[in-house]
Amino acid sequence: MTTFIDYLLGGISGGVIIALMALAIVLVWRSTRVVNFAQVGQAMFTTYVALTVRDQTGNWIIALAVALVAGLVLGLIVHWLVIRPVKRADTSGAIIATFGVLIALQAAAGMIWGGDMRGYAPPVSNDGIELGGRVWPFSAYDILVVAITVALVVGLTLLFTRTNMGLAMRASAFNPEVARLSGVRVGRSLAYGWMLAGMVGAVAGVLVAPVSQVSPNSFDILLVFAFTAAVIGGLDSLVGAVTFGIGTGLVISLVSGYSDASNAPVVALVLLALNLLAKPDGVFGHHHSRAV
Amino acid sequence: MLTVSELSVSYGAVRALSGVSLEVPVGEVTAVIGANGAGKSTLMRTLAGLVKPASGSAALDGEKITGRKAEDIVRMGLALVPEGRSTIPDLTVEENLRLGGLWRNRAERSASQAEVFDLFPILAQRRTLRADTLSGGERQQLAIGRALMAKPRCLLLDEPSLGLAPLIVTQILELVSGLAKNSGIAVLLVEQNAVTALRVASTGIVLNLGEIVQSGPAEAIRSDEQLRHAYLGY
Repeated sequence: MTTFIDYLLGGISGGVIIALMALAIVLVWRSTRVVNFAQVGQAMFTTYVALTVRDQTGNWIIALAVALVAGLVLGLIVHWLVIRPVKRADTSGAIIATFGVLIALQAAAGMIWGGDMRGYAPPVSNDGIELGGRVWPFSAYDILVVAITVALVVGLTLLFTRTNMGLAMRASAFNPEVARLSGVRVGRSLAYGWMLAGMVGAVAGVLVAPVSQVSPNSFDILLVFAFTAAVIGGLDSLVGAVTFGIGTGLVISLVSGYSDASNAPVVALVLLALNLLAKPDGVFGHHHSRAV
Repeated sequence: MLTVSELSVSYGAVRALSGVSLEVPVGEVTAVIGANGAGKSTLMRTLAGLVKPASGSAALDGEKITGRKAEDIVRMGLALVPEGRSTIPDLTVEENLRLGGLWRNRAERSASQAEVFDLFPILAQRRTLRADTLSGGERQQLAIGRALMAKPRCLLLDEPSLGLAPLIVTQILELVSGLAKNSGIAVLLVEQNAVTALRVASTGIVLNLGEIVQSGPAEAIRSDEQLRHAYLGY
């Protein structure tokens, strides 16, 4: 029983990072009905930017802030330069194009920063906290990760429910025509979706970096887990992405603990397949809002 | 006043509207009637900026609206309630209304919302509920309410009777006609249900295969038996 609880605790911070990446995928899907496979590539790229800033300034917070801004900008660039023009011709083409963006970003990162694994030291200790005479598999860094994620999710929730921009974004996602007829500049709302997703992904990248380290491909596996969580959550649902992101993190931790870490991706994909067979719209998905 | 002159619309090789000219005066309901496929919805969607006309123009109080984007046309004062109860089911009643006037300031918005709640008291009761919990008639009221949140000078209603009980349709249309008179809005109403539409309208326009075949006082059109047989099918 103690081991079980340890494995669960150990899965939390990994889970919230998956949740963030899944959230980014959902934000893009909601705005443009495109699954952005380049999301982890964008996060990888902005994490390299953060790493560079960190090397220069030695400050973790400044590096995170720069990554946020870089994420916003990169999201906007990918949307304007690639997705918008391609999507005008063909929606499924846009999804393929995101693969192109992923490969291009990985290649560019390799050229700029090289292909070696680079460490990303956490700002606070990543060792298990000692409490009540034993060491728990939960570190000060895990607490920071959870706190930042909670703050971000609360911020996004307020943005979507309390602000005009959030309402315009939701309306544009649910029914672009009614949104336009209501005076909403839908094109702008879609761009905001990509920018927010880029920002959320950038946070996920910086937070996962101390664990995964940074290389052009080191976030690839995160895509598998985040995509699984986003799809099981319903692709449309922010709540679903967060819930199943954390859930996926816990499952991975249990699978890695009781068997081997290399089995985790397989288990994730099996869960994804089972979900698609049983409930293709996802647990929190809206059937009616799916394009046929 | 909305002025439409020589408006033509084509979908590829198919001509959906040819040379339609009409006027929608303030304070009145003008009804466009005609069978399925007559071009009624095309007319509305073109005026609202969702469809680009092949030729011709439309102007609101002398200001040209054709060629502008839908999101700008509504800000200029022409609001469309599209066919099929165009509310957003995932949003609450209040959010649907807020959406209708998002670019206006808070004070203007709450004044308009108070007017909408006066007109449709049921919406005030349901304000925190999601739109998909409303009945068909309530949803149509919400769709009209959303359009009114833009404080339009011209309101376009596309088939508001679709799928609603006749009694509810009459109630809603009478409210709209009262609104036109009291608030000085020009209302253009498109209906397949000619009897109901002509009852609230002052002017009737009969559209057939994209062309206006008859227009005049609603009363005259209602009593023109030949016209009814030929184009309205009853």
